[in-house]
Amino acid sequence: MSAQSAAPGVARASNFSLGGLLRRPEAGALLGLVAVFVFFTIFGGTGFLTPDSAAGWLNIAANLGMVAFPIGLLMIAGELDVSIGSMIPASSMTIAIVSGHYQQNIWLGVAAALGVGVLVGLVNGFLVVRTAVPSFIVTLGTLFATAGFVLGLSVLLTGSTSVVINSDGVAKQIFGSFIDQTFQVMIFWWLLATAIYIYFIHYSHYGNWIFAMGGDKESARNAGIPTRKLTIMLYVLSSTSAAFVGMCQALLFNVAQVSVGQSFIFNSIISVVVGGVLLTGGFGSIIGIFFGTITFAVVNQGIYFTSFDRNWSSLIIGILLLIAVLMNNTFRKMALTYAPKKK
Amino acid sequence: MTNATSAPVLELKNINKSFGPIDVLHDISLQLRAGEVLCLLGDNGAGKSTLIKILSGVHVPSSGSILMDGSPVSFATPRDASDRGIATVHQFGGTFPLMSIGRSFFVGAEPTKGWGPFRVFDRKKANEVAVKAVRDFGITRIEDGDRLVGGLSGGERQSLAIARAVHFGARVLILDEPTAALGVKQATHVLRIVNQAKKRGLAVIFITHQVMHAMAVGDHFAVLIRGSVAADFKKGERTREEITDLMAGGETMAGLEKEIEDYMSSHDGHPPPAGH
Amino acid sequence: MKLKTCVTALAAVAGLAFTLSAAQAASIAVVGGKNDDFFWNKIKKGIDDATPAVVANGGKVNYLRLQTYDNFAPDVVALIKTAISQKVDGLVIPDWVPDAEDPAIAEAKKAGIKIILMNAGGAEEMKKTGAINYVGTDEYTAGVAGGEYFGAKGKKNILCVNTLPGTANIEARCKGIADGAAKSGAKSTQLPLPSSSFGDPTAVAEAIKATLIKDPSIDAVATIGAGDADSAATALKQASLTGKVSLGCFDFNDGTLARIKSGEQMFAIDQQPYLQALLAVQLLAANIDFGTDLPTRPVLTGPGIVDASNIDATLAGVKKGAR
Repeated sequence: MSAQSAAPGVARASNFSLGGLLRRPEAGALLGLVAVFVFFTIFGGTGFLTPDSAAGWLNIAANLGMVAFPIGLLMIAGELDVSIGSMIPASSMTIAIVSGHYQQNIWLGVAAALGVGVLVGLVNGFLVVRTAVPSFIVTLGTLFATAGFVLGLSVLLTGSTSVVINSDGVAKQIFGSFIDQTFQVMIFWWLLATAIYIYFIHYSHYGNWIFAMGGDKESARNAGIPTRKLTIMLYVLSSTSAAFVGMCQALLFNVAQVSVGQSFIFNSIISVVVGGVLLTGGFGSIIGIFFGTITFAVVNQGIYFTSFDRNWSSLIIGILLLIAVLMNNTFRKMALTYAPKKK
Repeated sequence: MTNATSAPVLELKNINKSFGPIDVLHDISLQLRAGEVLCLLGDNGAGKSTLIKILSGVHVPSSGSILMDGSPVSFATPRDASDRGIATVHQFGGTFPLMSIGRSFFVGAEPTKGWGPFRVFDRKKANEVAVKAVRDFGITRIEDGDRLVGGLSGGERQSLAIARAVHFGARVLILDEPTAALGVKQATHVLRIVNQAKKRGLAVIFITHQVMHAMAVGDHFAVLIRGSVAADFKKGERTREEITDLMAGGETMAGLEKEIEDYMSSHDGHPPPAGH
Repeated sequence: MKLKTCVTALAAVAGLAFTLSAAQAASIAVVGGKNDDFFWNKIKKGIDDATPAVVANGGKVNYLRLQTYDNFAPDVVALIKTAISQKVDGLVIPDWVPDAEDPAIAEAKKAGIKIILMNAGGAEEMKKTGAINYVGTDEYTAGVAGGEYFGAKGKKNILCVNTLPGTANIEARCKGIADGAAKSGAKSTQLPLPSSSFGDPTAVAEAIKATLIKDPSIDAVATIGAGDADSAATALKQASLTGKVSLGCFDFNDGTLARIKSGEQMFAIDQQPYLQALLAVQLLAANIDFGTDLPTRPVLTGPGIVDASNIDATLAGVKKGAR
């Protein structure tokens, strides 16, 4: 018996091998990112790595990443939220109407914008938990409902579909400003969020619960995990994160529009999948999503540093993302079929 | 057989279950003692899975009572049943294919270290405990707690799930067709683990329709036919052939065979006309 | 005072005319977009302002609005049939979906209704449907005006940012810019953005910024819409090019006007929807009532350029709902 229990200790020492690293969910995402960097260095030189240009894809990645993390968690848990597409304009219109059109205190606008996010998240969460309707359909419903509500209400209140919001002071500084004129302050929020998510998902027990939910919801519930509460929490998180991005956008661009944000739906799902999260749930990692988001942003922005005809942009983006996902699948297969060598 | 004299861990008394107008279980009474394997046999649709769901707290019986250690209990949720020490392991192990062995072992009961809001999941401890638990059941191929459950063989997954149930203090282990999807070698593996669990004093309900597997581990057999207990007997009281006959519809099947034979002998070897 | 007496007198005459011969007074139906659509509220303001003159001559104007855009073509056709059944004398209709609408328009014409196309359709559909005129805009002409404006200000290399590549009327805007700029020897290149950037102001801004950094000879940026101009303004700020690189855009929103006022943006190209409705209704009523005929075909209400010279009047118009 004592000989047997000693064996795992020995085996663990071999975890820190290259093979062990390659079997992690983020390995494919990292290699995908490296491949994309190599691609653009070959075709566009290292121009996209200068601070000014790096700010370009970092800004895109930061905005997208704030939404991609909670979307990734939902996908790991086996759910989906497409309503973020109208949550972004909803929150930016909210803060612009409250603090721009009605000239109320900016913090009231911030609270209202985030409050709208919490509200829509609760609606999504309760609908998904209480009805047996797939979350894609539920959130597709709230996507359209929110969009319609925002359009109707903003025309009713302001007679316009875009509202100017001029702000300065602390709120503008911490939510919607540029550092050194090029880096959006959102980058810091994103890095902070990355650290917090890594802690919660990979180091606290909540992460385990989310993975278990995505693996087998029934078994997870039987093991005593409060799956309903957790699902609702995840929906509140995703729609509040989208609200945060929308709010910051309004403060940054000094204007809010009804018709923005829809591209975030697919862009976030793509980033999450490129980041190694399984579409069917149960598998993925925060670092992977982090890399996936950067990959997506670099692919989108790198095009402008090459001499390709811009009409081919979408084609190149599509092919690069496909390659990144295929790499991921290869590594996941490696992880699943891995077994230590027979002794 | 000292166990036979002790009080049953789990006892079903006159359990009935109907879904609307459809009666699924009639008057089921069974006893299960510690250190004993009860094999629940029956064809598809005989009511085996409904019975398991009642025991694991998914369904509430329409009438009748469940007793544990002699006192009546009722399970409103699967959680109630597992709190009482009843653990159910399903055909595919009920584990999470894309989680590591260590993590899936402790789902819902994660070990943590550190303090306050900075308590973190203790991966090292989780992996050690999980690996030790499965190795104690004789699965020596598992050494690395970071391996994904989906990479294990079917038998290993079953073993992991059983080891998990035992580790978390299960007293009654319900195994739902654990060998159905396995090859001969893997099935033997699982049967060995069932025997080990029995030796550790667990009460095991082993659901199967493979008589060979049942006879290898069973102390006590119950055959369900159309929602009723058609036979309830101890090890050695029936032969393999008798059990097979029982499962395939019991005496009625043997009677039918005889009828056909009689008919053919009195009609010059012709079978009865179709549609008769 | 004089005006007031005049109107009163006209109204009295009109009332008399109405009692004498109701058939001669123009009854006009106008088909338009949804209630909560910002653009169509400016159209409505044009109709409202044109109506008193029609009423003064004993006629009336009936505005038929689409309730939703979900069942677009059939709903528009249904509104045309409504106008026919109301036995109106004239119909002002946007020819959004010629394939679906033209048969219904032909039917209206057969019933003796005079037609003016407004906002959508163009000169070509005007000829096809036998409408007496087209009052509206032409994307290409609007683009040419923008290109000429940049050229007149000495701009040499114009970037036309297209967030909806492949959309015919949007492509016409960028093509117009290029052709207009060419008249003064300037050139214009198009920057088509992938659909993954559409609706993400950060992505649009970064794409513009990267392009400006890569090609320092670009001295002007045009965007196909007001929302993209917000992103372009941020891109210029980020690259410290505000003032050095000029910005122009099609259409405008509050942000656009604020930038023109503060000098951060050079101009906006407006199709002036107010004029479309005002002129279409007036022209049709005068034709029915008095047989007047405007030889200018089509009547283009745009491009109207909004820049520093007329920004204050424009802002006043916005306040009144006409701009």
